[in-house]
Amino acid sequence: MRSHFDEQLALLHREIIAMGALCERAIALSSKDLEEGKTERGGEVFAHVAKIKSQERDIEALCLRLLLQQQPVAKDLRAISAALKMVTDMERIGDNSGDIAEIVALGHITPVHDKLQIGEMASATVKMVTESIDAFVKNDVGSAKRVIAYDDVVDSHFDRIKRALIEVLRSCDDGEYALDLLMIAKYLERIGDHAVNIAGWVIFSITGKK
Amino acid sequence: MKKRIFRSLCFTAFGVFAACAALFFFVLYDYFGEVQQNRLQMQTELAAHALTREGKNYFEGLPRTAYRMTWIAPDGKVLFDDRFAAEKMDDHGDREEIKTALAVGEGESSRYSPTLMERYLYCAKRLPDGSVLRLSLAHSTVPALLLGLLPYLAVIAVVTFIFSLFLASRLTERAVAPLNELDLDDPLANDGCDELAPLLHRLDSQQRQIKGQQEKLAQKQKEFETVTENMSEGIVLLNKKGCILSINKAALRLLDTEPSCVGRHFSEVARGPQISALLANGEAALRDEKRIELPAGTFGLHLSPVVSGEELLGSVLLLLDVTEKEKAEQLRREFTANVSHELKTPLQTIAGAAELLAKGIVKEEDRKDFYLRIFEEARRMSRLVEDILRLAHLDEGANDMKREATDLLALAKEMAQALEQEAAEAQVSVSVSGERAVVLGVPQLLRSILFNLCDNAVKYNRRGGKVTVIVHDEEKSCTLIVADTGIGIPPQHRERIFERFYRVDKSRSKELGGTGLGLSIVKHAARAHNAVIDLKSTEGGGTTVRVVFPK
Repeated sequence: MRSHFDEQLALLHREIIAMGALCERAIALSSKDLEEGKTERGGEVFAHVAKIKSQERDIEALCLRLLLQQQPVAKDLRAISAALKMVTDMERIGDNSGDIAEIVALGHITPVHDKLQIGEMASATVKMVTESIDAFVKNDVGSAKRVIAYDDVVDSHFDRIKRALIEVLRSCDDGEYALDLLMIAKYLERIGDHAVNIAGWVIFSITGKK
Repeated sequence: MKKRIFRSLCFTAFGVFAACAALFFFVLYDYFGEVQQNRLQMQTELAAHALTREGKNYFEGLPRTAYRMTWIAPDGKVLFDDRFAAEKMDDHGDREEIKTALAVGEGESSRYSPTLMERYLYCAKRLPDGSVLRLSLAHSTVPALLLGLLPYLAVIAVVTFIFSLFLASRLTERAVAPLNELDLDDPLANDGCDELAPLLHRLDSQQRQIKGQQEKLAQKQKEFETVTENMSEGIVLLNKKGCILSINKAALRLLDTEPSCVGRHFSEVARGPQISALLANGEAALRDEKRIELPAGTFGLHLSPVVSGEELLGSVLLLLDVTEKEKAEQLRREFTANVSHELKTPLQTIAGAAELLAKGIVKEEDRKDFYLRIFEEARRMSRLVEDILRLAHLDEGANDMKREATDLLALAKEMAQALEQEAAEAQVSVSVSGERAVVLGVPQLLRSILFNLCDNAVKYNRRGGKVTVIVHDEEKSCTLIVADTGIGIPPQHRERIFERFYRVDKSRSKELGGTGLGLSIVKHAARAHNAVIDLKSTEGGGTTVRVVFPK
């Protein structure tokens, strides 16, 4: 009985890793498009986003089945409830990556435009997502805490870009581009927040403290 | 062991003890019975004499002994009894011994008294006056005797028990001692017990067998490890669920993980949609191949399932570095695209011009222009084809070309002259200086090195710029330097300008002419002479190419 349960927990762990990997890939691809001003990876991002959504449903179903059938306690209960919350954050990351890819696909953001170093913010965000998934994979409280601390970097990027865009809007005629950049920056900032949530759930599932 | 020895000892001791006791008991019982009987007869005889002589007075003052005396009248009435009052006793005439005594003069009998658990021996004698004297003696029965013996028996039993216990533990100790002292690592070195010899031989042969097999296994393991550890390719063995069974050094390095990952699922070590798909195929026992980007470059992941009979045992994952391959493939694709593009452009011009001429649309005065354009483009194409052929030839190795002693300075001067007109058009001055430097080489190739370098120096120069060609003759080498004051090469392009068809500024290639193969030819021609090319360039400040020919 217990071994079956353990097997299912391992399966849950693997499924979350796979889903996390998809999120990583989605945000990495859309940031790459963003940095290089290309639109060629959009299709792949959308395919990943669709897969992430279906995986979210699968993992939720698995979690609920485990809760009902095994009635877990203590650490197992924490792991499963954390998983249940984590997939929601992951799904949001995927969604936001898709949104970024959509804006990039419009094609009016090119590297020439990128005086604001939004690419830097994108790579900081990708780093956060990767590290939060790493923290989950390795069950590492330390790296989860680092992710939470790193959110400040992404937030400061967001503030910087916002202020710079205000200047752009005042002086320049290309308003749509500025708004698009603002949207992208906001999405990136949200993704950073979701990565922080994931890290928080990792800490919860290990220590029981939130 | 101890328990069993103890049990059998106890059993034997008690058995022997019981047998002896029974034997003695029954033999002695019978013997004593007989003795008592005789003594009773004798006593009766004596008492009868005394009674006959002394009459009733005999009984007076007679001490009470173990013998009970009863005097019975011939009619059966009890006249005297030394245990009970005679008047109260019932008629004794019907007693067996008395009946016999009255009849024959003497009688004996024995009766068992269940109430007293004793057997009584009776002996009666008829006196001359017709009365009968009877003596009786209690004779203990078997159970009574046994009861009497019980305390002694118990003491003996306890002693036997304790002795057996002691003996059992001693015996066990002594029997096991040689076994405990055996040196199991070297069974044959033990001496002493001959009884243990077969066991020791058996042990020895089994140990040899185990040792041999262990050595074989260790050897195999070592072979496997040596092979896998020193491979530059990563090898990972997975079980059927995708957990890592074994991983070699290269794979650890490539996947940036630690040996502790053994036993964990592969997706915890490396993750990504590609890897998920790969592992899913592995679980379905399907062969698969994927490419992933790792920090060390592009890697091909080859997964082949390990199947025994119908059952999937796991899979082997190979990580192959395909960075170079990928790069080469990309270069090849670019090359093909470039060649077709470069060949197509002049052909289109020629075809267009020719079509217009053929349809007679072109005015008479413009015709010459069209012919010229066709001629120009055809020449461009033939130059291109020549260059490609030359490169192809160099690719195959230019070893069969004839080498001669050639003076680089003379060649440089020749080139400067050939480029004079072009330089004048571009308003660039070309100067050649240095000393005579003779190298053993293929004149055609040396000429093409000089031509291409100088041609580029003129082409990518600014108006009023300079091209300086210097030839040095040194002890071990000859150096050719072509320096210009042109536009320079941006740092990110420097590595790639020797590639075929690579252009720094793709939009200007048509304008400047050239095939895009010049520097590639220089590179290959220099390689054919074992010469080393050194390129220094500052953006906007000119480029200096140094070619060092060994002597």
